[in-house]
Amino acid sequence: MKIAVLVKQVPGAESPLPIHSNQKWVDEDAVAYVMNESDNYALEEALQIKEANSEGEVVVISLGPDRIQKVIREALAKGADRAIHIQIDTVGAIDPLATASHFADALKEENFDLIFSGLQSDDFGMAQTGVIIGEMLGMATASLVMAIETGGGKIKVKRELEAGWFQWVSLSLPASLTIQSGLNTPRYPSLKGIMGAKKKEIKVVTPNPVEANQSLEKIYVPHSDKQTVMIEGSVDQMVEKLIHTFRNDIKVL
Amino acid sequence: MEAHFTGIEKIVLALGISITLGSFAYEVWRRLRIVFKGHQYLPVDRFGTRIWRVIREVFLHEKVIKGRFWPGLMHALVFWGFVVFGLVTLDHFAIGFGRPLMSHSVHKLYSYIVIPFSILVLVGILALAYRRFVSRPKALGKISPTSGLVALFIAILMITYLLGETGLSPMAWRINWWIHSLVILVFMFLVPRSKHLHLVLAPLNIFFRPFQQPDHTTVNIDLEGSEDELDSMLADLTRLTKNQVLDVFSCVECGRCIDVCPANRGGGILDPKNHFILDLRQPLLDSGDVDVLGGINVEAGWECTTCQACTEVCPVGNHVEKSDEIRRLEVLVEGKVPQEYQKLFMNLQESGNTEGHTDSPLADRLPTYTPDKEYVLWLGCFARYELDPNFTKSVENFTKILEVANVSYGVLENEHCSGDPANRLGDKLTYTMLREHNMKQLAQARKVVTLCPHCALNLEKEYGKYTEINYSVMHHTQVIEQLMNEGRIEVEKGTDGKVTFHDPCNLSRMLDEVDAPRTAIRASAEEFFELEELGRNTLCCGAGGGLWWKKETQGRTHLVRAEQVVASQADTLITGCNFCFGMMNQGLKPLTPEGRSEIQVKDVADLVAENLVETTTA
Ligand code: SF4
Ligand code: SF4
Repeated sequence: MKIAVLVKQVPGAESPLPIHSNQKWVDEDAVAYVMNESDNYALEEALQIKEANSEGEVVVISLGPDRIQKVIREALAKGADRAIHIQIDTVGAIDPLATASHFADALKEENFDLIFSGLQSDDFGMAQTGVIIGEMLGMATASLVMAIETGGGKIKVKRELEAGWFQWVSLSLPASLTIQSGLNTPRYPSLKGIMGAKKKEIKVVTPNPVEANQSLEKIYVPHSDKQTVMIEGSVDQMVEKLIHTFRNDIKVL
Repeated sequence: MEAHFTGIEKIVLALGISITLGSFAYEVWRRLRIVFKGHQYLPVDRFGTRIWRVIREVFLHEKVIKGRFWPGLMHALVFWGFVVFGLVTLDHFAIGFGRPLMSHSVHKLYSYIVIPFSILVLVGILALAYRRFVSRPKALGKISPTSGLVALFIAILMITYLLGETGLSPMAWRINWWIHSLVILVFMFLVPRSKHLHLVLAPLNIFFRPFQQPDHTTVNIDLEGSEDELDSMLADLTRLTKNQVLDVFSCVECGRCIDVCPANRGGGILDPKNHFILDLRQPLLDSGDVDVLGGINVEAGWECTTCQACTEVCPVGNHVEKSDEIRRLEVLVEGKVPQEYQKLFMNLQESGNTEGHTDSPLADRLPTYTPDKEYVLWLGCFARYELDPNFTKSVENFTKILEVANVSYGVLENEHCSGDPANRLGDKLTYTMLREHNMKQLAQARKVVTLCPHCALNLEKEYGKYTEINYSVMHHTQVIEQLMNEGRIEVEKGTDGKVTFHDPCNLSRMLDEVDAPRTAIRASAEEFFELEELGRNTLCCGAGGGLWWKKETQGRTHLVRAEQVVASQADTLITGCNFCFGMMNQGLKPLTPEGRSEIQVKDVADLVAENLVETTTA
């Protein structure tokens, strides 16, 4: 089985996120990047499927500037066979439709049986890219995947619904799945994997420009205010004013 | 006693002795051959110290008695008896060939020494047999039939010896002589096939034991090297060293290592005697080779706090702990790492510290090191990133002491984690990165002082295994002691209440420092008392070996020591390690019985700073 895994490099949970002086984006130089959490699970799932069938290929694909080669290397070290790097400046790129079409362009020639992506990215959290790619490439699509069973040219996936409910769905191949964190136990790159990764191919492609329909206007840290209001009068008046303030000014009632 | 043995008897005797000695030699040789397949050399440096160690630990039975007083003493009686009996036994067989070694009068004279000893041996062996077969402490494990047989043999040997000295009729004497001989021969046959081989190997093992504790081989990773080099390096990771193979064959299965193991005592599965030693014995014998480390129980390996209590207590000189060996295989070869540690390793790689942080308010408040200053004050991640916010106060108390004594110091701007967690958890690649980074930062340093014994151990002894170190490292309690001795600070007894001290494993066992903190505490506290397990025999707080970052598990390794402290009725607990400080702070509160005021946890620096007389120097 030929499996593509989309990985994204995102700011780590503990990373500082200083806002760039142009207020269009964060200052990327100060950010500590890591592999998106659910992508790590998606990668592990792909590697396990390949190992269980003892044949097939796992290709990682990532979009962004040069710095993302770090997570690509990490994925190769863990066992992916080769990689595609869609080289593009992603500052402020927040249009999932544009992102998905870059991926779809790079993936369509390769005829993958499965395309895995993490459920959502830990930075924007739009949870759309994998689903849109499925649509663009005419693939069966399932989101929030918790378990995968392969066999007989079809797959069965367990999806997470609300309130502790689950759903098993059968899909024909090819299919695009967005993977939920926690469905497996991701591995750590072994020393042999790290050394071997250096020899693996990373194909760098430059995408055709796509018109973005969404862009960032301005980012800023929300500022909080402290205000003290003295309420005076008789008890009844005070209660009335207090309720008025709660209801109309602070809007908590 | 002038017995005349027939020719047939002499032939039978000669045959018996040859077969026994032959089989004895074969079994020992078979094991030693495997020992020599191990990598590295058996160390012989500091020869005199090694001999002295053999005298103390073998002939004087120091550790055997110290660890378990009564059984240890009984064992010593048996051992001393054996030594005395050496000559008697040689003479015994010589008599069989009609050529006694001792004249009648010498024999008689020597028997005045041997007879009391044989009675002591009898007492010893009966007491040990009672313990093993009647009271049966858990650490001894399953009943071993060979042990029963050996006890019986030793008893028979003593009885037949005593009978032989009582003036039996010639016929009875002769039968008695033969019983004694046969028992010796069968005993000799059994020894190399059982744990009783320790009779031969323990003295050797104690002689060759490495001085450093823990003593794990280095892992030299060359990311630019060839694939073949990498493969051979990785293959080496499954191989035991000569010392380690000797350990496996020397083990006497006493279970003292289990008794002291904090992971085991806290309800974990880790059983150092079996997981780190005996599980390797059969694979070694079966394969005749030493690549057996992959067989260590992985789950047990992750439970170890690397505290070295097992190694410290082992009476036959084993370096018991092998978590480093199994973890490095899991991390470097298998890539199987618990998720919490993967996160830790990622943090270390990305940010150079355990927490993935970028700023340290504490480091910002302290002066920066420049080469004109005396000490580099090494903070360590625990203090730098406030793993226990109360500990920053301890660091500041220490800097206050330095300032009062007019000692110049500064922190490194670019200090990264010393690498202790990566090193102990088996990620030798991340450890290499951190070590190389820190060596550059320390290029100009001459003296380093730190409050973290884990950092102290790594910066000096562990880094020293890889590169030459041009600076010296002191633990802050050692600097405090020095300043007190030099009269540069003055401390008065101002702290009331019952004060006790918890020896950190890394300070006591690994850095061999148990006095400096006590000097400081005695000078500051009115009422100092010791905990039951102290000094080099301290009980780990549960955080060592990277376990501070372990997810909560069912085991309660971290509570065993805290419970002891609560039971001790102390008002104040002093520690000399940031991890112990944090563990005790977390552990003591929920354990303190209602109505009793909470036990204060303090670092040695806190206690000294509180009681500093601030008029001396400055
Ligand atoms: S390793 Fe040492 S302490 Fe442990 S059982 Fe063997 S001899 Fe006893
Ligand atoms: S080092 Fe400590 S935790 Fe590990 S096996 Fe030995 S006694 Fe147990």
